[in-house]
Amino acid sequence: MKICTRQICFIMLAYTVVSKILVYPTLLSSLCGRDLWFPALISFAVQAMVVWAVSYLCSRTDKTLFQLIEGTLGNICARIIYGLFGLFFILGTLMPLSEQKLYVHAIFYDTVPSLLVFLPFFFFSVYAASKKLTNIGRSADICLPIFVLSLVFIFIMSLMEVHWDNFLPALKTPVKTLFGSSLATTYLFFEPCWLLMFMGHFKYKKWDAAKITASYIGGGLIVLFFLFVFYGIYGEIAVSRQFAVSKISLFFPAIDMLGRIDLVALYILEIAMLFALVLNIQLAVHCFVKCTGWENRNALSVIVNGLLLAFIIIFDNKYNDLSIVFGKWMWIVFLLFATVIPLLGWTMKRRAK
Amino acid sequence: MIKKLSVIIYWAILIALLALFFTNDFGLTDIRKTSIIVAVGVDTQDGEVQVTAQLAVPQPSESGNNIQYTQVQGSGLTVADALNEINSKTGFYPKLLFCKLILIGEECQKDELFKVLSCFYRRNYSELTALVAMCQGRASDMLAMPATVNPETSSAILQVLSDELEKSANVSYANLKDIAETNYSKSAACYMPYIEANKPGTSESGGGDSIGGDPAGGSGSGGSSGSSGGGSGESSGGGSGGSQSEGSGSGSSDTGGGQEQVEFTARRTAFFSNGKFAGILDETQAFALDILKNSIRLAVLPFEVDGINYTLGMKNANGGIKLKVDKGVPRLTLSFKAKAQIQGKRMTLDPHDVPFDDTVKQSVLEGAKKEIEKRFSDLVKVCAETDCDLLGARNQLYKYNNKYFDAFNEDLLTRMEVKYEIDIQSIN
Repeated sequence: MKICTRQICFIMLAYTVVSKILVYPTLLSSLCGRDLWFPALISFAVQAMVVWAVSYLCSRTDKTLFQLIEGTLGNICARIIYGLFGLFFILGTLMPLSEQKLYVHAIFYDTVPSLLVFLPFFFFSVYAASKKLTNIGRSADICLPIFVLSLVFIFIMSLMEVHWDNFLPALKTPVKTLFGSSLATTYLFFEPCWLLMFMGHFKYKKWDAAKITASYIGGGLIVLFFLFVFYGIYGEIAVSRQFAVSKISLFFPAIDMLGRIDLVALYILEIAMLFALVLNIQLAVHCFVKCTGWENRNALSVIVNGLLLAFIIIFDNKYNDLSIVFGKWMWIVFLLFATVIPLLGWTMKRRAK
Repeated sequence: MIKKLSVIIYWAILIALLALFFTNDFGLTDIRKTSIIVAVGVDTQDGEVQVTAQLAVPQPSESGNNIQYTQVQGSGLTVADALNEINSKTGFYPKLLFCKLILIGEECQKDELFKVLSCFYRRNYSELTALVAMCQGRASDMLAMPATVNPETSSAILQVLSDELEKSANVSYANLKDIAETNYSKSAACYMPYIEANKPGTSESGGGDSIGGDPAGGSGSGGSSGSSGGGSGESSGGGSGGSQSEGSGSGSSDTGGGQEQVEFTARRTAFFSNGKFAGILDETQAFALDILKNSIRLAVLPFEVDGINYTLGMKNANGGIKLKVDKGVPRLTLSFKAKAQIQGKRMTLDPHDVPFDDTVKQSVLEGAKKEIEKRFSDLVKVCAETDCDLLGARNQLYKYNNKYFDAFNEDLLTRMEVKYEIDIQSIN
């Protein structure tokens, strides 16, 4: 077995959170103001159900997704579907990667916002993506304590400034806008696909489905709490504050005396963010290995990262345009791959029997 | 062989790339070429914005820290434009991450506040933690004044805006976030401390001899509205102003070209409605606002009972504002609770009385309640007269009584009934 349940739980908890605390809160603030928690709740509720469905499916089979599809639809279909999943993981990386680039520029390179300083990320990415699934689990083991410590530190520094009545009156935003906001941010939700890829690569034990789902719900609750803190601090002007995680702790009194001590936590949290970002790339390579049957992960990793690098260079300074395209159109793709296809796993299993 | 070679190539590229990080000398900056903006003053004139930056210029010194402070001015159509000019003079990247104070000159009263300040809210230009204050006269003049309490003017001003003073209801603390948050709420009102410069020895805020411009006027119970009169004379020009130094070498302050040293006070409060200047609260009204809005540790209240002047120290103070709609009538409740002890009494001291300072007579407590109620009612009157919702009544109506919002929003401040719940008890 390449990965264990504990590591999957860590991934579902920590990586879910770190991939949604940069731009997601600001985006939701702009879409539905003080009711930003509601579309997030809808998204997490739907995804949690899918995560439960997939993890429960894992209890009924020892096969990987590839083997399930192969047993049902044949090898060619399995390869095609894995190829599509590979492309989907690349697509799912585009926005988080652009966000991360802007965040790194804004936080780490205050006065040198050059594309060049972000490029070393791809060396890390090429290396990480060339490794097998075992390494994903090990990375999660490293990331969880980092994630917990830094996030607790940031929350402690932020809570004093929160005005909890900023959320009143609740749910005055039109229902269409609330659900529309949830759809428009669907491109940030792909966790069930992670689990789908881990299927058959870990030994399922009793209650594992509950543990994995609970971890995901835990991650969702942390994100919801984060949204409350962020909007509770900034209220109506939250929409103007990009990179929420770096903005919520600014009003901690000691910062006046000691300087930006919160940056220590942010730098540490960045490690978990990078591993979370790389996970999609690792899974894309994994899919292409299965799709092509070519076991040379190094070469595939270079190709996938090359594509992403080209994307970053071509769409440098075009984040807002991309965000509009993803918000308006990409929900269809993400809904299909992260919600519908994982649920279809159940139909495949029955036929495979 | 190919596998080994690829590993070597990979590491070579990685090392080469890491070397890129070192091409900027580890991001270190030569302090002799550095100047950091610690405060900015913003004035407007003839449609242009004039920004005066107080710069900290670190000086290399073998005997501890030594920082020299100086003023540089720039002007333009926007604050960013003016800052760019300043940075072209100082040779430092135009960021305001170390800027702790934004001082707005009186001339800016004519402009929309968030038109003047918009630059500071742009992404990554500055953080929203910088304190904001309006000053008497021109901000450029005030930043050039030598202060008695601190050789660096912006630090002297920051001292009168301190956290401690906020917790004693002596100053209406406001940072960039606070003013934007309240201005863009349903109340559409915000406030900030009003800085005045006085000659040393005159303790009365606003009542002392003001320097650098006419007093803002209207210190009576009604406050003042509209522009508060004349400017402050000529600005210090387009170049750099006087310099001040601090550190082991200096010992005393340079008074910046022989100017008389001043004391700063911030006991009055400038307030804005819909981003437009609406007036200045006098110190009793500002006190009332502060005890309602801020978390107070110890507030000091002077008042008179039976011809004797008392100064009461109020601890464990807790103020609150609540709006409820009861039988179709909006009712605003201003509440204040505190434990009191006598801190001063204008009578010849009897040492035997001192142990009983914590046991305040009922008549004195009643006097204190009346004084607080008077200050609250003055504040409410100013809010109603200027239609400036400093108390956040509209916001509360929107949040807690939303179904009445459209009906009462327009004339809420004149329509609402106001109730005062003041509970001041003796510490013992």
